[in-house]
Amino acid sequence: MALFHLGLSTSGHDPALAIVTAGGELVFAEASERFLQDKRAWGIAPDHVPHLASALSQIGFDFGSDTLAVATSWKKAKAELPVELMGDLLPVTDALWLRELQAGINTHAGASLLRLGLAQQMPEVRRYDHHLCHAVTACAFAPVDTASCLVIDGEGEAGAVSMFDLRERVLKRRWRSWGPGSLGTLYAWLTQLCGFDWRLGEEWKVMGLAAYGTVRPEIRDALTSLLEVDRGRLRFVEREALLPLAARIRTFARAAGEPLMSAADLAASGQAAYAILADRILCESADGSDGNLILGGGCALNSSYNGTIAGRMGYDRLFVPPAPADDGNAVGAALLSWMETTKTPCVPVLAATPYLGSVAATAALSRLDALGGIARVSDASAGSEDRVAELLAEGKIVGVMRGRAEFGPRALGNRSILADPRPADMKDRINRLVKGREPYRPFAPVVCEEDVADWFERAQPSPYMSMTLRWREARARQVPAVVHADGTGRLQTVSPDNAPWMHGVVRCFGERTGVPIVLNTSFNIMGKPIVHSPEDALAVFMTSGLSAVVIETTLIEKSAAA
Amino acid sequence: MTDTSESRLFSFLREQVAQRTKTSADQIRMDMSLSDLGLQSIDAVLVCGEVEDRFDVEVDPAEIFQYDTLGDFARSIADRMAA
Repeated sequence: MALFHLGLSTSGHDPALAIVTAGGELVFAEASERFLQDKRAWGIAPDHVPHLASALSQIGFDFGSDTLAVATSWKKAKAELPVELMGDLLPVTDALWLRELQAGINTHAGASLLRLGLAQQMPEVRRYDHHLCHAVTACAFAPVDTASCLVIDGEGEAGAVSMFDLRERVLKRRWRSWGPGSLGTLYAWLTQLCGFDWRLGEEWKVMGLAAYGTVRPEIRDALTSLLEVDRGRLRFVEREALLPLAARIRTFARAAGEPLMSAADLAASGQAAYAILADRILCESADGSDGNLILGGGCALNSSYNGTIAGRMGYDRLFVPPAPADDGNAVGAALLSWMETTKTPCVPVLAATPYLGSVAATAALSRLDALGGIARVSDASAGSEDRVAELLAEGKIVGVMRGRAEFGPRALGNRSILADPRPADMKDRINRLVKGREPYRPFAPVVCEEDVADWFERAQPSPYMSMTLRWREARARQVPAVVHADGTGRLQTVSPDNAPWMHGVVRCFGERTGVPIVLNTSFNIMGKPIVHSPEDALAVFMTSGLSAVVIETTLIEKSAAA
Repeated sequence: MTDTSESRLFSFLREQVAQRTKTSADQIRMDMSLSDLGLQSIDAVLVCGEVEDRFDVEVDPAEIFQYDTLGDFARSIADRMAA
């Protein structure tokens, strides 16, 4: 009989669940969108019954004797706060929608235990502060005792920024901002102005587009002026000042039907404004941090900005967890529940791995041989690293589904599409044959940790693809398919410890080609979540231009590509 | 909590509310409700933040709305500071 801690991300968007053992080990974490194959899974319960049942079965949970403590990533329903919502930037209906979803999900969290026979009445639920959950998640993946931990997102319990101190692994909030004033909201609005949709999580597209634009001071300064930063705390300026500024900025918006590139200057200026404001929050926060900064919250996904932090403002090192946004809060909630039960004030250090999700179902794997009639199926249980490297060197585009799924938005080699980064047309080929996304968006490079400094300036480890760094100029010419328009790359660094198979693939590819870099993009098609089941993977394989797919120990190649 | 720090809290609250309602602090009484004070709900939340910052005490954003009067809210904060 054992007690497990079930952490639930209860924001109403990006639901996820995480499970921590009685010993404080994180044994499972996965976003609901993966299981459901529904991008962002708006309004879905994070303890969605079949998903929770699947997770419990994968960790060996004994339904007869084990028990679950349920924890949520919000203390309260935001709708309980009787304040008028701000609708001056994003439509007020979006904010209302979010509040209603969050209220319902947060209130009903844990009800699935009734359905699963794990509770006889609605379980008592432990509810934790939203930004504290972000901070605990972020600190749990940072192997340092002392740091500043900044949480920046769209909205927290009181405001959208919280600064914490981590001292000897004990986390204490230093301050938080109150009221409206949010970099997450600003970036979401910028996303809309560029002609994208923040509700679809298209902030990435703005960041990618920014590289093609020129920062225009009049746009950047107007955007920056929307927010005041007082000792780190963010606040939108008074309405009388905000409305004319917003009206001026709207004149630069991309209208429907205008070409994408007409928003490039706006995107570049918006990214520059974000960096200025984030710098203002951080600039006096490094005291006592030993040079370590831990970032959490959805804004910690701004990899372009993240890559500029180390070496400035008193910080030497940056740590970002694999899932800094609201999905990741499931981990924080589960850990806080464990800390409460065990009465430990210290945030544990988790194993440095993002591979925390589901494995491919055995039954599905056993059926792969049946594909023999339509594809070439072979055993890849030994030496698959070199076999995949060989295929890549031949110009093939290869899907990979091996081991446990990554937790967080990035595919890091276990649910990835891999390709050769050397041909200049590889980006267009992948887009045309597989991904179908906008041609300007960059693909990411995987590089061995020991090689980073050979290829990038300001080399830093980036095991979760959290930061963008500048390629060394001479090197960039060797891998044009993974060099963005501004000469940068959002790299994943791999080592024999953190990603042994992927490290092997990159090494073998390097031996074959002289270029130890592999292109890595998520195993999905545009608009869909990363594949979850072998059937999902095979559907992409069969309906796209993928040449081959590795599913666990089986290599499946299209006959025509053989 | 000492009488001095409680009175510091009370006078800080008067100043904060007065500033946000554009009245003078001596017109702010502890037996007044938020609506008597003419305090907008967003300003009430911001006052909570100022109290949290100044007195290093955790304040729930919705807390001020749970009390009938400013004084009741102040006393609950004062009790927590004394604990």
